[in-house]
Amino acid sequence: MGKAIFKIIIGLVVGAGLWVGTMALEFPPVFRWMFFAYAILGTVVFLVLDAPSMKPLSGVKALGAVIVFYVVLCVVYIAGASLWPQYDPEDEKGKIEKILKPKRAASEQGKADELIARAKALDEQAKALAERIKALGGDQAPAAQAGGSPGAVASTGASGDVLKIGEEQWQLQECYNCHKLKGEGGKKRGPELDNIGSLLTVDDIKLKIVDPKSWMAEGFEKEFEKGKMPDKYKDLMEDQDIVALATWLGTFKDASVNTPKPIKKK
Amino acid sequence: MRPRSLTTLVALVALFVGGASYAYAQVPGAPPVEFPYTGNRTAVWIVAQLHILFAAFILGAPIFVVISEWLGYRKQEPRYDRLAKEVTKVTMILYSMTALTGGLFIFVLLATYPQFTTWLINHFFMVFAVVYPLLFIGETFVLYMYFYTWDAWKGNKKARHIALGVLLNLIGTITLFVIDGPTSFMNTPVKAEGISPAEFLETATLWDKMFNYSWMPLNIHRLVGNVTFGGFIAGMIAAYMYMASAKDEERSYYDWMGFVGNLIGVGALLFLPFMGYLLSYELCDYDASICPYMMADQLSMFFEMQGAMIGLIFLASNYYIWLSMKRIQGVEKVRMTILAPIVMIALPLVMTKVMTDYPVPDPKSLMFLLPMLLSPVILGRFIPLTVSARTVIKVGFLMIVVGDAIWMTPHGFVPTGAKLVAELELPSDWNFLALMPAKNSAAFTLVFVTVVNYVIYNRAISQGTIVWGRIDFVSQFVLIFLAFSAIWTMGLMGAVRSLLRKYFHTYNLMPDFTAESFTPTLSYSAWWITGITVVFFLVVSFAIIVTLRASHPKDRVPEGSPVPAGAK
Repeated sequence: MGKAIFKIIIGLVVGAGLWVGTMALEFPPVFRWMFFAYAILGTVVFLVLDAPSMKPLSGVKALGAVIVFYVVLCVVYIAGASLWPQYDPEDEKGKIEKILKPKRAASEQGKADELIARAKALDEQAKALAERIKALGGDQAPAAQAGGSPGAVASTGASGDVLKIGEEQWQLQECYNCHKLKGEGGKKRGPELDNIGSLLTVDDIKLKIVDPKSWMAEGFEKEFEKGKMPDKYKDLMEDQDIVALATWLGTFKDASVNTPKPIKKK
Repeated sequence: MRPRSLTTLVALVALFVGGASYAYAQVPGAPPVEFPYTGNRTAVWIVAQLHILFAAFILGAPIFVVISEWLGYRKQEPRYDRLAKEVTKVTMILYSMTALTGGLFIFVLLATYPQFTTWLINHFFMVFAVVYPLLFIGETFVLYMYFYTWDAWKGNKKARHIALGVLLNLIGTITLFVIDGPTSFMNTPVKAEGISPAEFLETATLWDKMFNYSWMPLNIHRLVGNVTFGGFIAGMIAAYMYMASAKDEERSYYDWMGFVGNLIGVGALLFLPFMGYLLSYELCDYDASICPYMMADQLSMFFEMQGAMIGLIFLASNYYIWLSMKRIQGVEKVRMTILAPIVMIALPLVMTKVMTDYPVPDPKSLMFLLPMLLSPVILGRFIPLTVSARTVIKVGFLMIVVGDAIWMTPHGFVPTGAKLVAELELPSDWNFLALMPAKNSAAFTLVFVTVVNYVIYNRAISQGTIVWGRIDFVSQFVLIFLAFSAIWTMGLMGAVRSLLRKYFHTYNLMPDFTAESFTPTLSYSAWWITGITVVFFLVVSFAIIVTLRASHPKDRVPEGSPVPAGAK
């Protein structure tokens, strides 16, 4: 018992030392608690190592102990996994919907869905027309209906801010995972892009997106050789989205940021 | 049992082939079903994971079964032969479950994702309709032959029986490699520079599709993983039987069987982190955007959980060695060079530094690390300072905790890089703790400590005497823990591999337009992984009770004893 108390004291002292040490090194509180938890884990390990032997169990007692043990494992693993920060799927659902929308429309299923939707809309229009004709008996009704929704759809499709679409594509394609921009994102996997507009034209940027081997950033020779930038965007993105992204990136001309010099390779 | 299982299997294969072609013909008009409560994707996940767990066992167990049989033959020790036969008995029942869940998997997949399933079958038609069924039928014949000739092919014929076991493993391994083709294709479909994947696929041969980026890494990873899995399940079988044993002789045998199962499980486990690293390296090489998705974005916390699980598994497997040492008489005399604990302590720091300066595969990193790792063996002979085995093992436990702490230290406590703020991020000076060199050094520390502990154990058994059957009873719970945790981790990493396809059924080729094509939370995944593991354990426990427990009746009634008519 005395040994166990001694180990607990040692564990707490080590934990406190780690907590104070990490505080002095300006670790955020969550990391301080994490290191403290490791010290407690170590203490538990050393307590278990010298714990007295377990008495053998048999029959119903052994079966009960095994079942309880399984229940404890299930609870601990589910609770343990639930304690970590959880990714919110809602953050992703909207993105996926936007990315897949044109692909769905282009697929056989998408075309069938579109036909069904159109048929439904026409059916509703016909029903509305029939009701109006029945109620009014007027011959102006079809003209009013015919001029309605298709025009509205056309005007919605025609509008849209290219720069806004470009910025949206930056988020949708998760370019920020490799490139730093406006001080956000990037893990040095790809070059920082705040001054890319001064170094490349919109067409050059577009070329780099569709064919990553067309340009190489100075200092990123190894990444270029390994083909780190995926060559999938020409297949994943619509042409107008690539143009929008290139146009938006072309507006970044912050000379204070050291965007590496692009070298033409093709 | 044999004819019924065979009939079931043949019927399943026929239904699978027939069902696939029927569904293909019906694609345009076939409305997909909607699974209540779970949804379609989770329903497929449950059935697929269950199938993989059973398949992993029936492919992994025969590898060490045949090794055990060979050892028994070579050493003329019957207990190795008994171990091999008992595990084979359990394998027989789980083999039927593999076929059953495999058939169910195809039906659920066809019902829920008919277009994608038929598309995949169409691309791998020869594999699904000819090669795989033939291999499965071949494996069935050989497995049943292997089991039923066990007692007949003894003595002079034993070598023939072992050869049959080798053939069984050969077919099993080829089956694994074949089915890994479509599986890995879904993650890394064939591609060529400058051509769209869809265009390239049109001209690609079956071999092109099979031999994709992640095929061989997945084969190796699964092969080694299956041996680990089989070893730990054998340990669990031993634990159940040890607890149920009433005689000292039986307890001695099952204590020994638990030790062997754990030894095989841990032996293969030592390679798994590196096999997993190779697989993720190839995945990242295929498409660099997969890497941040795994390690820094949506799946980053799945890897935190993986770190926690691996740390627990290494702690438990070394604790089992510790408990095993306690039952060796004379263990207190065993000593080891002081260099061993010194290297253990220095390893994480030195390895992180070396691998940061000379990243793998730079040979300079080996120039520094190899002499260091070998120094206890080479220099230890000339340095007279030694420490007790107990001290070395305790230092080892300390370093397992340190190694796991490094493994689990994240760059930020956020589930996605998009939400990273300074209050949740590692200070920049300490960011190296979250990078690959530190993670590799942590993994290597866990492996190194375990190897040293087994070296100590070997010395202990050569200098002392093992008293089988006298191990601390808690060790049986450690064996169960190892099996449960290894399988849980397998489920977790299986989920990760599938989720890496993001919103595609086949990455970048076949989009998943359903509303379920998003990354689920770790908590949601943990519920289902736990559920699947529990179902698997219930079936395995049933198989153990039916095959082993029931075959050891307490009081055998003499055959032919008269029983009065109408007796109750």
